Order: sequence, then structure tokens, then C-alpha cells
Amino acid sequence: MTELLLNSIVNGILLGGVLALLAFGMNLIFGVVKIIHLAYGQCVMLGMYVVYTLAVQAQIPVILSCILVLPIMGIVGILLQLLVINPLLKAKANPLTQLLALAGLTIVVENLAQVVWGADLRGINIQLPIISIGSVFVRTSNLIAFFGALLTLWGLYLFLNRTYLGLAIRSIAQDLDSARLMGINPRRIYLITMATGGILTGVIAAFFSPIYAVHPHFGGSFTMMAFIIVVLGGMGNLLGGFIGAFIIGVVTSVSGVLTSTEIADIIVLIIFISVILVRPQGLLGIRVSK
Amino acid sequence: MAATLVIILVFAAIGVFPYFVPSPYILHIGTLIFIWSFITTAWSYMGRFGLVSLGHGAFLGVGAYTTGLLFNYFGFTPWVGMLLGALAAVGLAVVVGYACFRFGVIGDYFALVTLALGEVVALTLIAFRDITGGSLGFTLKSKGTSLFYFQSEEKIHFYYASLGFLVLALLVWKWIDRSKMQKALRAIGEDEIAASTLGMGIIRYKMIITMISAFMTAIGGVLYAQYITYLNPHTLSGVAPSLEIAFKAILGGMFSLWGPAIGTALIISLEEYFRVAYGSTFVGFSQIIYGLALVLLIIFLPKGIYGSLQDFVAKRKKS
Repeated sequence: MTELLLNSIVNGILLGGVLALLAFGMNLIFGVVKIIHLAYGQCVMLGMYVVYTLAVQAQIPVILSCILVLPIMGIVGILLQLLVINPLLKAKANPLTQLLALAGLTIVVENLAQVVWGADLRGINIQLPIISIGSVFVRTSNLIAFFGALLTLWGLYLFLNRTYLGLAIRSIAQDLDSARLMGINPRRIYLITMATGGILTGVIAAFFSPIYAVHPHFGGSFTMMAFIIVVLGGMGNLLGGFIGAFIIGVVTSVSGVLTSTEIADIIVLIIFISVILVRPQGLLGIRVSK
Repeated sequence: MAATLVIILVFAAIGVFPYFVPSPYILHIGTLIFIWSFITTAWSYMGRFGLVSLGHGAFLGVGAYTTGLLFNYFGFTPWVGMLLGALAAVGLAVVVGYACFRFGVIGDYFALVTLALGEVVALTLIAFRDITGGSLGFTLKSKGTSLFYFQSEEKIHFYYASLGFLVLALLVWKWIDRSKMQKALRAIGEDEIAASTLGMGIIRYKMIITMISAFMTAIGGVLYAQYITYLNPHTLSGVAPSLEIAFKAILGGMFSLWGPAIGTALIISLEEYFRVAYGSTFVGFSQIIYGLALVLLIIFLPKGIYGSLQDFVAKRKKS
């Protein structure tokens, strides 16, 4: 039993790494564009289908497909901004209507995937060895995803904190009007943020591809998970999201082993509800009064 | 006066319609529209006061499953089951509603809590698969045509029954509109702090409207289950149906009596049209167009169809 528990904790931490990346993308978009990107998991799913198409159908080497998916998903992000989010911002719809519009978008993306790729499971079918450390077994693909995610997060941290563009993005997130006064064009920053968010979905898709087989409803649960993490850590709070990802990763993994997957999901949702009720600003957030 | 006449005429037309066009397919679509209009109207009871719930699937599921399970296992008549199911939904609404209102959860955050609630109910239904049939759902035992068991093999019976329920939901709306509660809730919806300084019991009013909405939504769930005679957690609770209810009401216009019903009628017709026209050639294609239509409608008519129409008419009158 302790071995099982230990295994699930380790795997939960590994899952947490990728979830952190997922939540980071959603958080960044929420912080800057002020939109809850409800179709984020669906974008990851789209990225996985792109990897599948490139690697299996076009016979391109897996590594190359995983690199090619990044610019493609970046373009998808830009298209989303131009075609959906800009008109939504222009229509001055209230936040709730925006939420519903993006929920409508998930219907579009999921069914598009079903029309193009069918409802079957699609995987790139590569077998990576399983490593054992003592009594703990770890899949290499999970390990790669974990360290890859941490590395990507480190890169993003440097991008946001050390470059001029990163500074511009952070200033837009903090105070739109002041940023405008400093000569920053919000439209351009929105576009760059959505492109970054899009490339991130590509990165996640590349890491997920060796682990999971993709199907049209693959994205939904990950959107939900990312969203729960974002709320847990505090909306727009990047560090909070990072910690939240590991908490949720371990909780799902451990409760999944101890009970059933449904009960595990229920526990996570109840954590989510309690956080909103008791600490709506999230674990690390500061309460902002209106 | 003219408006009342139009309404009476419309209802008369809907009432005699089956005698002129006895197509079971059209009757089926009509019944679905009435049932979902009933549900979206019940949703709008609270939605119009700024309590936008994205988890009404929870009440739908609790109502339908309580009734269905009591009937299948113990042979309870759905009429009693409906009441018990609705009361169970009210119980759930009391727990969640009180927690939300006590902690001052409003707006987006309220929407998110309820969204999670709908999913919790769906997952609970799936988790107790020994009783509920899990993801596969379960079928109600067939009793043929029986008023006592609220089942019928004739579509026309459900057509009129659901129409009657819809009228009831609209009357409840009218009743809320005339009550003191409506004024209080509108004040609360606009500015909660200002309303509380006037000595209004914010929690009490919000609780009452949430309970009414949950009660009616649960009855809507029972109606739907009795008509389809099949219960599934994915069509009754969870994220998808919860969002659909909100979609329909908001698109139609949740601030007006007819808005939710019009939105429901439009979306169901749209869905059916695309399904029939393209469903067999491209699976999923109809859903893409449906989703696109939703996104476009939200972008271009943020106030909903009926709301935008009202604005348009008001503008016309002014000029």
C-alpha cells in the first residue's frame, strides 16, 4: 500500500509539472487579455492532433513534428485573437457573455476535430522505457514532460522578467491605462500574448503526445483542471498557479489510487468550490477591494 | 390590450396546431421546445437578477434521478417523485446557495461555483453506477400509457402536458414580477451594498429566488426524463447541459418574459435543422455550425435576441 501511495505521489508531482505549464498559459492570457480562455485544453488537443498528423500520417520524425507543432499552434493562437477575442472585446460584452462565447468555441473545436480526425483514439505509438528507482516506477515520457515543462517555465520566467517585451506584457497585466500612457500598444501585446499562449499549447501537446492518445473530448478535462489550478493559485498569480498545479496533481493522483477516478474528480471540484467560497483571491492572491 | 390578444392567439395557434399538422416529428420538436423553455425560464428567474448559474444541470439531474430511481426501484408514481425530487433539488440549492450568499460570492465567481456543482452532481451519478447505471444511464420501466405513472406512448399527450407546464412557468414569472421580492432583488442585482444599507435581507431574498428556480428546474428535469424515458448523467447534469440552459436563456434574452422561450425555440430549431441537413453526411459538422452560430450571436447580439429586438423597436418608436 505504501508503495502504491509513493508511486502515485511521484506520478502526481510529475503530472503537476505539465499542469503547471497548462495553468501558466491560461493564467497569462487571463492576466493580460482579461479573458478566461475556456478552450485552452481544446487547443492542446488540437496540437496533439497536429503532432499525430505530422508524425503518423505525413511520416515526419517525431522530434521534428514536436518542434513543428509550436509555430503552428502559435498561429492558431493569433487567429483566435483576431477572429474571436478581438470582436468580443470590441462588442464590450460582459465577462460572463465572453465566457459563454468561449464555451461555444469549445463546441466548434471539439466537433471540428471529430469531423477531421474521427472519434477514434489517435496516438503516435512510441514506446519509451520505464525507469524504476527502488520501488517507484516512472515512465520516461512523464519524466521528459516534467523536466521539459520546468525548463519551459524557466524560459518563460526569463522572457517575462528580462526582456523588454516581457516588461510590456507585465505592465499591461498590471495597469492597462498606465501602460498605454507609456506608449505600449495593447492590441499588439494581446496578439503576442495569445501567440505565446498558443505556442505553449504546442509545447504541452508535444509533451503529452507520447503519454496519451488523443480523442475529440480530450481537452475538456484539461481545461477544467487548468482552470481549477488557476483559481486555486489566484487568478493572474503565476507563482500561485505553479504551486496549485502540484497540489492538484498530487491530490488527483493519490485520490485516484485510493478511490475511483470520479471520486478523485469530485474531491478536486470540492476543493475548487471551497477555495472560491473561503479564499476567492486564491492561495497567494491579495484581496483587491473594488 | 393588443399584446394580450396576440399572446392568446399565439397560444391558441400552438394548441390547435397538432390537429392540422399531425406530424409526430414536429410534435416531438415542439415538446422538446416546451420542456426546455420551461427549464430556461426557470433558470432566468435568478439569471435576470444577476445570479447567473452555470450549474442548473445539478438541479435537473437531482430532480430527474430522484424521480426515476424511486419509480424504478419502489414503483413510486412520478407525481410524488417529482415533488420529492424538486424538494431534494431545493435542499441542494439551500446548501450551495447559503454558502455562496453568506460568503458574498457573486458574478463570475458564482457562475464558477455553480459550474463545478453541476459537474459534481454528474460525477456523483456516475460514481454510484451500481444504482444509477453510471455513464450508460438507465431506462424507465415502461407502463404504456398511464396518467398515474406519467408515461404515454402518444406524443400528443406530452405536447399538451409540457405546454401546460410552460404556461405555469411563465405565470410564476409574472407572479415574481408583481411581488415585492422582484423590486428587492433588482436593487440587490444592481448594487448589493446599497441595497443592504436600506435594510434588505440580501441573503433571504436570494435564497428564496434560488429555491424557486431550483424547484422548477428539477420539475423540468422530471418532465424531460418522463418524455424521453431514459436518464443519462451527460444529458441531464454536468457541464454541457448546464451551459446549454444558460446559452438558450441568454441568447433569447433573460431579462424578458418571452426571451428564454424564444432563445430555446430558436436554438432547438437551429440544432435540428443542421442535424437533419448535414448530420448524416458529416458527423459533427452540424455541431460546428451550431457552435459558430452561438459565438457569432454572442458577439453581435450581446443583449440577446428578444432584448435586441426590444431595443430596436424602442428606437423605432422614438424616431
